[in-house]
Amino acid sequence: MKRILSSVTDGKGFDIGLVLLPLAFLFIMSGLPLVYNVVMSLQEVDMFSLGSFSRPFVGLKNYVDLFSQPETRPILLNTALFVSASIAGQFVIGFGLALFFWMNFPGASWLRGLFLVSWVMPGLVVGAIWNWILSGDFGVLNFLLREMGVTDGNIFWRSDPNYSLWAVIIANIWLGTSFNMILLSVGLSGIPKDLFEAAELDGANAFQRFWTITLPMMRSTIGAIIALGLIFTLQQFDLFAAITSGGPNNASNVTQYWAWDLSFRQYDFAKGATISVIMIVFVMLASVVYVRSTRHEVRG
Amino acid sequence: MSDAFRNRLMFAAALVLAAIYLFPLYWMYITALKTGSAMFATPPKFLPSEPQWGIYEFVWQSRNMGRYLWNSLVIASGAVSLIAVLGVGCAYVLARYRNVWVDVGLFLILMLQVLPASLMVTPIFVGFSQFGLLDTPRLAVTLAIAAKSMPFFVVLVRATFMSVPMELEEAALVDGNSRIGAFFNIVLPLARNGILVSAILIFMQAFGEFVYSKSMIQAVELQPASVGLNSFMGPNTNEWNNIMAYATIYVTPVLAVFVLLQRRIVSGLTSGALK
Repeated sequence: MKRILSSVTDGKGFDIGLVLLPLAFLFIMSGLPLVYNVVMSLQEVDMFSLGSFSRPFVGLKNYVDLFSQPETRPILLNTALFVSASIAGQFVIGFGLALFFWMNFPGASWLRGLFLVSWVMPGLVVGAIWNWILSGDFGVLNFLLREMGVTDGNIFWRSDPNYSLWAVIIANIWLGTSFNMILLSVGLSGIPKDLFEAAELDGANAFQRFWTITLPMMRSTIGAIIALGLIFTLQQFDLFAAITSGGPNNASNVTQYWAWDLSFRQYDFAKGATISVIMIVFVMLASVVYVRSTRHEVRG
Repeated sequence: MSDAFRNRLMFAAALVLAAIYLFPLYWMYITALKTGSAMFATPPKFLPSEPQWGIYEFVWQSRNMGRYLWNSLVIASGAVSLIAVLGVGCAYVLARYRNVWVDVGLFLILMLQVLPASLMVTPIFVGFSQFGLLDTPRLAVTLAIAAKSMPFFVVLVRATFMSVPMELEEAALVDGNSRIGAFFNIVLPLARNGILVSAILIFMQAFGEFVYSKSMIQAVELQPASVGLNSFMGPNTNEWNNIMAYATIYVTPVLAVFVLLQRRIVSGLTSGALK
């Protein structure tokens, strides 16, 4: 007994205790729900059996039902569009800004950091602001587009099924651009300056330098950022709740919102769990890519 | 072109870019100050002509914002305290050793970091309701947020501990300190700033958390400000000046803290996410 006690205060036991306690917490709060999620997706769950532990198992019925629903395909396509358009927008604008701020001038790092306010704001607030900006008759975005001659009339961003998903994508690009930019800036500052000097002496122009030095040197950073972008866009929920609620008629619905909607609006917890399982597998795959591309950092 | 001129030109261009990017924020502040008719004017006014300063007090009173913000504060502080107590030790051990087990632990933690809250909320909700945790909904949300954010906190704080030289701790051990003594007297004070910044970052996230609160807290008296804002925004609302005033009150403290600590937060964030 005394040996165990002294090991906890003064030896290996100290380290093990420090690690095991949080891991146990995470196991109970994240690991068990993960397993429970899979179990529920194989069960029949309704309002009456919600509180009981013994529910009838139905095999893969939920999965089969899910894929025979007419709205499943459009929602999956929406998710793919949402993810790829968001990542592309965030990455391109973020990279542009990062390259701009890379040209060192006084105040650059301070101003660059200021961009990150979009990232620390509560998602609901971002959604509320964009909901107002994108408003159909009185939205300031429609006004600016008309003034610039891009559009003739007002676009009803939130209620037109052709645009409602894009409304959320625009807001999500704004939200995520700054984070992309900061991480890309870190990557850019890691490229040795003399590479560029050598290339410049050899007569390479700015475009050639970008194509042959900047991009190849940034490869692992870019991989990590794309994977992180995938992870973050699949986590995006608040903007949907604040701007379109998935409507009109599922035109802007995506899986992560649908899963919640099924569980907490339609009380179909089994279906909600089924979609969750499918999407969590996706996210896990993305995070393996992310972990691999930052492995040199992880190992120290 | 002289260097000074170039620098000033670049700074001006950067200011323009920042102004464009931060326009939505400006629009929030301006809309809150507009009257009901000025808000719907075409063309919209980009400067408020008769600012309505009374709106903040009106919204604060009519939406009962004190209660909402208090609930946000309770939930966020609870989650951050729990995360800090559990996460700091975990990050320390993961930074101090390098072997297979540490790699496995890190891998698990990175994987847990990426689970979307809106997908995890279904099993957590059902599980919590079966164990009666939903009778104390704020505690339930606090636990869920802690589990969601702790991995990120561990990753950030681990980066801080990596920069504390191990020799200092070893010297303290040689001088007769116990492991606990060395940890609390040497390592923790040296890593204090990094831990604080990470905790502030996690606090900001928890302060704006929505999915768990929306799903688990039914009683209005216990809901945080994010859920309050959501129920304020009906499908056909036209109270945009009031909503923006609500958003202003909610977000301004967060923005103030961020601007004050900007440099530290940005560097802490980047060292944790990738390097």
